[in-house]
Amino acid sequence: MAQPGFVPPSSSDFFYNPSFGSSIVATKPVMLLLFSVIIITAFFTLSARKSAVVPSRLQFAGEAVYGFVRNGIGQDVIGEEFQRFTPFLFAIFTFILTNNLFGVVPFMQFPTMSHIGFPVSITIFVYIVYHWVAIKKKGLGRYLKEMCFMPGVPKPIYIILAPVEFLTYFAVRPLTLAMRLFGNMFAGHLLLLLFTLGGEYMLKSAAFVKAFAVLSFGLAIGLSFFEMGIEALQAYIFTLLAALYIAGALADEH
Amino acid sequence: MAGGTPDDGAFWTITSYLIAGLGFWGGCGFAADHFLKTGYWTLIGLLLGMGTGFYLIWIRFIRDDLNKPDPRLKK
Repeated sequence: MAQPGFVPPSSSDFFYNPSFGSSIVATKPVMLLLFSVIIITAFFTLSARKSAVVPSRLQFAGEAVYGFVRNGIGQDVIGEEFQRFTPFLFAIFTFILTNNLFGVVPFMQFPTMSHIGFPVSITIFVYIVYHWVAIKKKGLGRYLKEMCFMPGVPKPIYIILAPVEFLTYFAVRPLTLAMRLFGNMFAGHLLLLLFTLGGEYMLKSAAFVKAFAVLSFGLAIGLSFFEMGIEALQAYIFTLLAALYIAGALADEH
Repeated sequence: MAGGTPDDGAFWTITSYLIAGLGFWGGCGFAADHFLKTGYWTLIGLLLGMGTGFYLIWIRFIRDDLNKPDPRLKK
């Protein structure tokens, strides 16, 4: 009657063998990534193809997403120069949102962003953009000066403040941006795995334990809806922070 | 987790300052302890870094906010 012990899900559950061949680019996350690009392209091409004054339902959906990023994130945060950055923000938002939502779509059920390489790649783009925008607008010297030396502080204090400001802009911001998205997706997926695998294990156990399997599966379903919210929220926060960093880079002073 | 309100930007700016302050000056203190074979610089560095973080937060969100609206704080 010795039951094999329950093996909790771990980070090793996030690594897939190549779907075909032996190349590292043929794994499930990469496939999902490519698939997301196809979905996004198809959706917005279809929704924008027959632009009508009275929009069809599809066009309305596409415009709603675009309008949300353009007005809700771009215009509100960046201000007058927002139009230049709308395509960038829109691309980030839809890309992250689609890939995150893969976490709860049946049969896919894997949020691509729970592999840290993907959030890091997007963060690198944001990082380059907000520094580039600032350097182009102000010049490197003025940008660094405004960044590290806030006005109205006694001069000796700058020795203490300047390195911290510098580190915030160049290291902590991109790190938190990537880690937050990665961490949320990783933890969320792990949680779902735990309740699903736990329920499965309990189903195979003694009769009185089986009753609790229902609870575990129920929680897994409930948490899936909760995860859906988190996934949309994280896509929004990532885009919002990217916009905030760009806005900060464009601002004349702190 | 932090909510999805526009205040999220402020929330993460504050977190970034605290991490950067503690990381930089705590790290400096740790390096000093390591090379000088002492045992108190890490603590001094961490306290200094924490103070720096709070000071920067105060400058950005309380002092400057009274004089002129920061674009990052608008919403």
